[in-house]
Amino acid sequence: MAIGDTGILRRRITGRAGLHPVWLAAFAGLLCAAPLLAVAWLAVSGPWTDYLAHIAETRLTEFLVNTAIVGLTAALLAGVTGTGTAWLVTRYVFPGRNIFQWMLALPLAMPAYAAAYGWYDLTQGAGPLGGLVPAVHGAFGAGAIFGLVFYPYVYLLARESFSAQSADAYDAARTLGCSPLQAFARTALPMVRPAVAAGLALVVMETLADFGTVSHLGAPTLTVALMRAWAGEGSIPDAARLAMLLVSISFVIFMAERALRRRARQTSASGHVRAFRRHTLSPVAGLATMIACLLPVLMGLVIPAARLGWRAVSTPAATGLADAAVNSLALAGVSGLLAAAIGLGLAYAIRTQRLAGRASARIASMGYGVPGAVAALGVLIIFGSLQGGLDAGWRSLTGSPFPMVLTGSALALVFAYQARFIAAAIGPAESALSRVTPSLDAAARSLGARPLELVRRVHWPLVSSGVALAGLLVFVEVLKELPATMILRPFNMNTLAVTAHNYAADERLGQAALPAVLLVAAALPAMIWIARRITASERTRDAVPPSDAIPGLAE
Amino acid sequence: MMAADSDMPRVIITGAEVRLGGDDGVAVNGASLALHAGQVTALLGPSGAGKSTLLRAVAGLERLHAGEIRSDGHVWSGPGIHLAPERRRCGVVFQDFALFPHLTAIQNVAFGLRHLSGAARRQRVMESLAAVELTHRARAYPHELSGGEQQRVALARALAPEPAVMLLDEPFSGLDRRLRTDLSAMTLDVLRRSGTASLIITHDADDALASADDIALMERGTIIQSGRPDTLYLAPSSESAARMLGDVEAFASKVENGAAQTPLGDVSARQPQGSAVTVLVRPEGIVIGHSDAQGLPGSIVSRRPAGPVVAMVIELRTGERVTARAPVSHAARTGDTVSLSLDPAFVSVVER
Repeated sequence: MAIGDTGILRRRITGRAGLHPVWLAAFAGLLCAAPLLAVAWLAVSGPWTDYLAHIAETRLTEFLVNTAIVGLTAALLAGVTGTGTAWLVTRYVFPGRNIFQWMLALPLAMPAYAAAYGWYDLTQGAGPLGGLVPAVHGAFGAGAIFGLVFYPYVYLLARESFSAQSADAYDAARTLGCSPLQAFARTALPMVRPAVAAGLALVVMETLADFGTVSHLGAPTLTVALMRAWAGEGSIPDAARLAMLLVSISFVIFMAERALRRRARQTSASGHVRAFRRHTLSPVAGLATMIACLLPVLMGLVIPAARLGWRAVSTPAATGLADAAVNSLALAGVSGLLAAAIGLGLAYAIRTQRLAGRASARIASMGYGVPGAVAALGVLIIFGSLQGGLDAGWRSLTGSPFPMVLTGSALALVFAYQARFIAAAIGPAESALSRVTPSLDAAARSLGARPLELVRRVHWPLVSSGVALAGLLVFVEVLKELPATMILRPFNMNTLAVTAHNYAADERLGQAALPAVLLVAAALPAMIWIARRITASERTRDAVPPSDAIPGLAE
Repeated sequence: MMAADSDMPRVIITGAEVRLGGDDGVAVNGASLALHAGQVTALLGPSGAGKSTLLRAVAGLERLHAGEIRSDGHVWSGPGIHLAPERRRCGVVFQDFALFPHLTAIQNVAFGLRHLSGAARRQRVMESLAAVELTHRARAYPHELSGGEQQRVALARALAPEPAVMLLDEPFSGLDRRLRTDLSAMTLDVLRRSGTASLIITHDADDALASADDIALMERGTIIQSGRPDTLYLAPSSESAARMLGDVEAFASKVENGAAQTPLGDVSARQPQGSAVTVLVRPEGIVIGHSDAQGLPGSIVSRRPAGPVVAMVIELRTGERVTARAPVSHAARTGDTVSLSLDPAFVSVVER
């Protein structure tokens, strides 16, 4: 009898909590998936021009080879750096270990193109390191830059996986005849492999999506071809076809990562985890380890930022930077807030266990595999056809075309950002909401809390910091975003990213430096907060594990 | 198979001391114990006594700060000596089984057999899995196995390299009771047939008494008593040793003229005149007779049947209460007046 009562109570509560806000969010989630569908539709149905045939005959091979070199170089560097530093901070005690835990994630605050400007400026012929080290240029140079700024994806996921490994597995290997090194190679490494693969998949997807870095360093990839089809040839259908090629590469990477996991699991089958006792290093080894952990942070963040800072103070500032900064912060702020709200709504939708709710959340998360340029193209197509429809209707009434409220507005940009980054907001919200168990609902209700009160007194305190994390993640991503902003920004509206890119494209790195540094300055505090949260010990009340905070590939 | 040579211990632990870093302090503090080939020694003690740490020290997973562990004449751990775990030939079954989650049952069992060639390795793996009756689950991953199956894979994996010593850390603690009984019987059978010396940590005294060849009792980092189960049960060396193996009535007393006084009567004591002693009486040692029989009068306050035996709380004339154990068929009922006598076999006198 009592059991049946609880069942009814639970059903009624979740049923009520799953009313309209959830369906609104589910609708927004589906909307986020619309741009990709629009791109696919236009790629199939749009008119063909000579441009694609011309590209295929001349430069497509170059684009593909560059894409491959850039991706592989980035993966190699990010894989070794991320896995190595993760192993060091989880297994050894050395000076500054607690700080390095989160500091190693900070290069994510550095836009890849800004790192490229800094390193290129340092290593080119006339730069201070010119001739001393190879100039950072071409496909390998771009790959190295991506490795330096995106290795934190691998680091965060590998660190989480290493910490979740039970020391017993390592000890068992030792008692079965393995030396310490063999035990690492035969147990710890295979167990961390899926986490590293998931991190690498993100690294490669980010390199695929990049425009600023590869165009500055002269290693045009498929994204550059797509941007040229749109800007140079003005052919949106051709851009859409290149976009589909890009998306299918992302998809193959995604599937390969899935296939790698197969049936094997990486966590202890009994669920029990005996934590490793960290090995305290001798002073010399400790210092060497500290330097090994400091190096990626220096190279991915501090050195390029310092170079850009130096260039910024020694160059007269360009005009219009204040407006660009306000635009950047406003766009990122609004997108972050919106994504946090939609993400929370979608997390509730998943929680209702209704197929429609879960499906819309999953569909919305697919956007993370979609490069920004592709999402922007999709929004352009959707809004373009809407504008066309409105024009026709308006003209029959007034004789003039409908005002350009859609295609040339910030609304289009915010839409594209949501489509691209909403996945980043769903994970943390879902993770936070998972702590709100049905029995908590039942307990609160049985103690007299009405539904809204339940949300205010129980749900919100538990999920608020997860939601803040979701919003800040999207804030940082939108700040750094370049290609989608270039495609969709309203006429005469500049952001810091676009300003920096435009100056850099004109070879005026001095002028590009200040907006780039401002971007880092805006992203860094948010990134520090994020990094500290997702590397916090699992026992901390508000901790969100990286696999929940880093979108796209988690189950 | 190795010949069971019970005269010469396979492993001798002498005065072992392990200090863990941090707040844990000294975990093992001068423990001494011998393990014999072909015999199963149960290590029993309260949590925090240092059982797991001692086991890990034998496996080479912890270093000794003092004392020595030697095996067949070789020093494994000692002053300035620490043989790496992979060179000790210790099979370990961890409390959480520690199966490699990325490997199937076969691959887990084959993990320690790299020194064998393909065919020989395969044969050994299948033999080991057959010994624990798991050949049908050979290709399953750990998370696809039940708790009992995981435990059996862990046992097979540890036994496959034919270790000199098997160390099992509460191998049945995560399993339900029925399963535990079956698995425990199978495990002990497999261990004895393998001919290795086995040390098995348990917190279940009845289990240890019923199945082990030897029992070692551990408290606060030291082995307070070890020996045959019946010896330990009937002749405990201290009150806490007695309590680890079951219920006991303890009476503080003093030796006078070769005897110690208890509310149940005098018992003979070998301790010197005037020494303070504790008289320990197992519940089975308090014999309940009819009220007209010779002995100490008392009345039954409560009667609690527990399977084949019944526990009876008896109030003595002095107002003191003792617990006696009798077969469940015993006629005495609550409220009955009875006479009590002591069976000397269940009585021991230890210095306080």
